[in-house]
Amino acid sequence: MRASLERALRALSSLRLACVLLLFLGLLTWLGTLEQVTSGLYDVQKKYFESFVLVHHAGPVPIPLPGANLVLSLLFVNLLVGGMLRLRKGVATLGVLVAHVGIAVLLVGAFVKHRFSDEGHVTLYEGQRSATFQSYFLWEIAILEDLGSGRVREHLIPNGRLEEALGSGRVRIAPSGLPFDVEVSRFLRNCAPRREGADANAVDGVVLEERPAHTEAEQNIAGVAIEIVDEKDGMRRQALLWGAESRPLVVTVAGKPWAITLRHEEYPMPFSVALDRFTKEDHPRIDMPKSFASDVTVTENGSSRPVRISMNAPLRSQGFVVYQASWGPAGAGPGTPLYSTLAVVRNPADRLPLAGCIVIAIGLVAHFARKLFRYVRVEGRTA
Amino acid sequence: MSVLACALSLAIAIAPRGEGDAPSRAQPWSPRTIELAGSLAVQEGGRVKPASTFARFALLRISGGQSLESVRGESLSPVEWLLDVMLYPEDAAREKVFLVQDSDAVAAIGLDVRDKKKRDRWSYEELQPGMPRLFTLAHDYDAIPEKERGSVQGQVVLLAGNVMTFLRLARELDPVREGAAAPIDTGVFACIPPDVPIARAEAWATTTELATKAQRSPEDTAILASLAALVSRRADPAAFETELSAFSGRLAARAHARGEGAKIALERFYYASHVIGWSLAAFLASFLVACVLWLRPTSRSIHAALFALVAAGVLLLVGAIAVRCVIRGRPPVSTLYESVLFVTAVGGILALFLESIHRNRIAVSAASVLGVIGLFIANGYETLDKQDTMPSLVAVLDTNFWLATHVTAITIGYSAGLLAALLASVYLVAKLVGFRRADPSFGRSLARMVYGVLCFAVIFSTVGTILGGIWANESWGRFWGWDPKENGALLIVISQLAILHARMSGWLREHGICTAAALGGTVIAFSWWGVNLLGVGLHSYGFTSGVHTALWSYYWTQWSVVALGGIAWRRAIARREPVATQAARLRQPNRTESGQAA
Repeated sequence: MRASLERALRALSSLRLACVLLLFLGLLTWLGTLEQVTSGLYDVQKKYFESFVLVHHAGPVPIPLPGANLVLSLLFVNLLVGGMLRLRKGVATLGVLVAHVGIAVLLVGAFVKHRFSDEGHVTLYEGQRSATFQSYFLWEIAILEDLGSGRVREHLIPNGRLEEALGSGRVRIAPSGLPFDVEVSRFLRNCAPRREGADANAVDGVVLEERPAHTEAEQNIAGVAIEIVDEKDGMRRQALLWGAESRPLVVTVAGKPWAITLRHEEYPMPFSVALDRFTKEDHPRIDMPKSFASDVTVTENGSSRPVRISMNAPLRSQGFVVYQASWGPAGAGPGTPLYSTLAVVRNPADRLPLAGCIVIAIGLVAHFARKLFRYVRVEGRTA
Repeated sequence: MSVLACALSLAIAIAPRGEGDAPSRAQPWSPRTIELAGSLAVQEGGRVKPASTFARFALLRISGGQSLESVRGESLSPVEWLLDVMLYPEDAAREKVFLVQDSDAVAAIGLDVRDKKKRDRWSYEELQPGMPRLFTLAHDYDAIPEKERGSVQGQVVLLAGNVMTFLRLARELDPVREGAAAPIDTGVFACIPPDVPIARAEAWATTTELATKAQRSPEDTAILASLAALVSRRADPAAFETELSAFSGRLAARAHARGEGAKIALERFYYASHVIGWSLAAFLASFLVACVLWLRPTSRSIHAALFALVAAGVLLLVGAIAVRCVIRGRPPVSTLYESVLFVTAVGGILALFLESIHRNRIAVSAASVLGVIGLFIANGYETLDKQDTMPSLVAVLDTNFWLATHVTAITIGYSAGLLAALLASVYLVAKLVGFRRADPSFGRSLARMVYGVLCFAVIFSTVGTILGGIWANESWGRFWGWDPKENGALLIVISQLAILHARMSGWLREHGICTAAALGGTVIAFSWWGVNLLGVGLHSYGFTSGVHTALWSYYWTQWSVVALGGIAWRRAIARREPVATQAARLRQPNRTESGQAA
């Protein structure tokens, strides 16, 4: 038992496993790069880099492969056990140890980012203000309750629940505090409404027709069929929700109106951002942007301050980072009001890559400087 | 006005007239005139540059060359050609300047191509009857995405663009030309700085823009008068020279007041000195000397000469890079072209360093080959791309801190990896042909050299790649986005780390390291050039078929070398060459040094 455990540990920490894992990671990276020619980045990322196993099709031949999640997890264990714990400690290996610690920091950063971060954008015209940001890809059903005197409470059905209703799935959800249940079915990542009275799925003569997903996933417009179920009254009401609708669906249940809408997931920020001025500057006599900048007012804990967010100079506050991402509308002529799109990321590991990079650099330089010194001495003697 | 209509009305303007209608240039432009005209500052592509640079790339785009054989038998420099186009448009219309790669493109616009070669140069006069058709077709083809255009369609679009440039330049001075029609195009030769401080206006003006300006200052009027005088005195060399001198003085004073145009002289020097050409010459000479050295291996003086020539090539190249940095106020690498220069220079420096330790002739010969190939690629790329090699940068790239750290580190990584691949290929080929079979220390020392260069490479590749992630995190809000260029960099890091770990684990020995390093060269080529050809992602800079051919040639060379090396290895085993003992020897120092790690 002890011997086999020892053997397993040795295999798990071996240099050869490190080689094999690196080669697999390289293979995945290479395949995931080439596939971007035909598929969108979002799908490629899901398939190769955020999976545990996958099947790659080389022409007609299906090849099962470990996904990057699996490879990186194993690599992390291998690094931890073989590259740090079991590494012979001494002056000769100090640099290697430090570099390995740096790589581990990077991997931890990647994991934290993957699991615990939200990302999206807030798009504002000059004069607008927002304290929330929107996902690029994820959808949610928001049920708005009128609390009177202009106040609204939001009840949310997040993307994760909607995805259970992909394909033929049907999910019954009972959001707390609501006098009714919601049955969700036929969630479509990209679709468009079409008049079609005869279809079995038609609601009020309209069906949502599935469309092939865009290679740029943020252009997809989702849709979903819902059914409002009020057990008390025995009322059932079918409806379709589509992501690009301008007005919400309004139903009356328990004597009260409820507005229901399908929208990109929204997340709160611990501060609000108001766009005061957006500046876009081109290089002279050429249609090439030289700089973009958004002058914003950030209101946080009751106090406001002006901040300039520009390319390569984001705003960092309370674990959130706000970047100058893009602007629009595309092809706007002179005088057209422009909007500024600020990317927002909540990433608890935002600063880990920098730390990891510094540690790795120190480790590698220390190690190879020592090697170089020895090399020059040895070669100098033989030459 | 649509582009099509604009192009057509431009074309009508200099329809060829009968002989003798317009006076031809009677004598060559004087050297002083060429000097003054070439030194005029022009704003193009978002930066202020000498007119000589403007003319150089305009002529390169139109004719594919850097000088022009005129119909009168003169050899015209780009500046002389530009003077002709602007001041003697009728003369310039007769010069065979438009390079057409495939005469089918000219046939497509309805012209007779029987007297012409398939790839030939045409004059505007010859093309003129096909103008309406050229612009109509170009207008249609322009709507087709570039990737889907056929070869002839692409040629037509290209030719139409070149004709447009020519016509714009030919009509540039119409506002000050007596009897010319009213200008319909704003022109391209923006040589007139605004007379306000730099903070209030960035764009320089063309002649048309100045002539149609709502409120002209007295100085503006004087500049226009000066331009008119240039046009009317074009046939009188002495008067023209005086006028041009005064004109250039006025413009320079304005630019100086705005703090612009300060680097014009330096850029003139950069191109006039042909420093890249001299560096290439030094590398070529060194290559010849290297060949002699391998025939007479024991000669110390030839070895010294080789070292000196390579060092001269590297120094000239470093000088060129430094001057470019000063001209643009940027770190050494901000474009693909500059990455080629930098990779070549760093590779040369590394190889010279190795040579100074080893003195085994291999590293210095490799540097010579690297220099020749690198500078040929640089020149070839410039000729293919035909764009100013010191362009303006888009907002996200325009940051010296990240260009200096991330880009420089990554490029040093490329350089070291490619040098390792080259040395490893030398090892494999040497094994194949049985070079120095009797002396195992030869292969051992070469393999150690490859390993050493790889160690150097891995530092810069790894740190450079992570720095790239940090930059991306600063500008796009994500550290890693699986963009093709990022993936390419990661592939380099992974391949180099895999080689080092495989060496430690004992999987790869002398021959294995060299095989892996030679393959590593293809990974670098893929990352450096290959991903740009995929045409996706944030780092896709455009496509050139010449790059495609060169890239695949390199892939196949490396694969062949590796395959042949494999044959040599099998043969060595069959001959019972003690590979195992060889490997044991190779591993010995490391075992005592650090055990599992290192």
